[in-house]
Amino acid sequence: MVSLFIGPSQAASPGDILKSLFNFISGNQATTENYTLLKSVVFDVRLPRILLTFITGGALAVSGCSIQAIFRNPLTDPYILGLSSGAAFGAALAMAFAFIPVQLSAFIFGLLAVGLSYFMARKNKSISIVSLILSGIIVSGIFTALLTVIQYVSDPFKLQSIVHWTMGNLHNANWSKLQSSIIPIAIGVSVLIIYRWRMNVLAMGDDEARTAGINPDKDKLIILVAATLASTSAVAVAGIIGLYGLIIPHMVRMMIGPDNRQSIPLNFLFGGTFLLIIDNFSRTISGFEIPIGVFTMLLGAPFFIYLMKKTNIGWGN
Amino acid sequence: MKAIQVHNLGFFYKNVCVLDNVNADIETGKLTFILGKNGSGKSTFLRILAGLLPYQKGDIHILGNDNSKLNYTERSKIVGFLNQQHKAVFPFSVEEVVLTGRAGYVSYIPKEIDKQAAKLAIEKVGITHLANRNYTELSGGEQQLVMIARVLAQNPKVLLLDEPTSHLDFSNQAHLLSLLKKLANEGLTIVAVLHDPNLAFLYGDDFLFVRDKQVIRSATSADAWNVDFLKTIYHGNLEAIPYNGRALLVPYMN
Repeated sequence: MVSLFIGPSQAASPGDILKSLFNFISGNQATTENYTLLKSVVFDVRLPRILLTFITGGALAVSGCSIQAIFRNPLTDPYILGLSSGAAFGAALAMAFAFIPVQLSAFIFGLLAVGLSYFMARKNKSISIVSLILSGIIVSGIFTALLTVIQYVSDPFKLQSIVHWTMGNLHNANWSKLQSSIIPIAIGVSVLIIYRWRMNVLAMGDDEARTAGINPDKDKLIILVAATLASTSAVAVAGIIGLYGLIIPHMVRMMIGPDNRQSIPLNFLFGGTFLLIIDNFSRTISGFEIPIGVFTMLLGAPFFIYLMKKTNIGWGN
Repeated sequence: MKAIQVHNLGFFYKNVCVLDNVNADIETGKLTFILGKNGSGKSTFLRILAGLLPYQKGDIHILGNDNSKLNYTERSKIVGFLNQQHKAVFPFSVEEVVLTGRAGYVSYIPKEIDKQAAKLAIEKVGITHLANRNYTELSGGEQQLVMIARVLAQNPKVLLLDEPTSHLDFSNQAHLLSLLKKLANEGLTIVAVLHDPNLAFLYGDDFLFVRDKQVIRSATSADAWNVDFLKTIYHGNLEAIPYNGRALLVPYMN
């Protein structure tokens, strides 16, 4: 709610917005002459941005938590599977050659990257975290190399928009972006919410899950597809928001413990809210907007190192 | 009555024969130990019974059900399995860990009946005082008891354990084996792979030995104490030291 009142537009001071909101609710006709401007700032710029930021943060946090649970490793997130570099390449490709919408292209290549990592790592119908991370690194490397090629051949103007995209781009949120992302995110997150207790079972290990009566390979695939769908949709509209899907699940676990029955829904709420708070900072802290991806990366990196030192959990386990 | 019937079982790992033409019966409501050398295939045998390894030849019936035709959910209501060592990553509470044993009964979210079953299993193992503790903060012995409660929560008729005492100290070994003995006396069929023949002979009702790709039953329980027989199992030197009317087996020192 607070986010509605914050922003670089001088014309819309919090007081003005409150006044017009009050008028709107009480059914009064617009009294202030700049009502239309206010309405446009609040409803066409800020509101879609707030909603988009919220579902993006929620989707990334829930996907991160799910992926950490099924791979039994608290240092993983959706980007580790090559999602971010795949999506960045897709977006850049579409910006440079303009044959399909940027968002769609980012979505397709994000999914493609995760799919490639998954099938490269798959062996004897099951999948190990080490091979998954290694194939994720390979796939990321390939797409990053291809991205560099595109950046190299692009003209400076396109290059600038590509760079902007990869830093997270919630600033050009609009209703159509919200519309196109909300359905896949809703589907992905709903599946993850349904499977949230299964994640507790899967976190016990494969043998333990099998002998307790569920098929871990099938359930992991369902959860991985749902998490990829939600996070790729988020990345496609919002750009790369680094380390977010890794950090939020940890903060939630510190607050309420590891039981996914509670932590999956809370990840969505907290992930959404926290990204809004960061976004508010990124658009108010200086005269120009600091890209949100830069913000989360700078906050996230020290946190990641702290976790790595503290948890003693290596990739292999 | 036979709980498990194994007929002409053959198992190959990457074209290497591990078990060949194995025939074995396991009695209902008894505590049966499987003994043998490292790498003899005793854990493999147990994992095959647990439905974790597909076998190539023969057939296995568990309480009349063809083991190869059961899916995970169906099998979980008949057979419980406890791995050698369980490594936890997330600090789940003991209650949450035990509740995951109910996965075969739960569609997506556990209900009150599942929570009751978990609570009952915790009581049965005698760790009610640990119920709200974090699993990761417990000692090895306590963790093993939690995992036993977890497997009991799934109400199996047959319980399979792979070296349940291997990471436990002396007193915890005794505590755990007494618990297994008690559960067997209450009617549960228990099959456990064990390293230490002394412990096995102290607590077990029945013994199976794995040697040369075969599973052998000792003809009589007296055989279990027969040093010459045991030498063929462990391919090595061991001797029996008389002690209070029993014998203690020790590795023979040159």
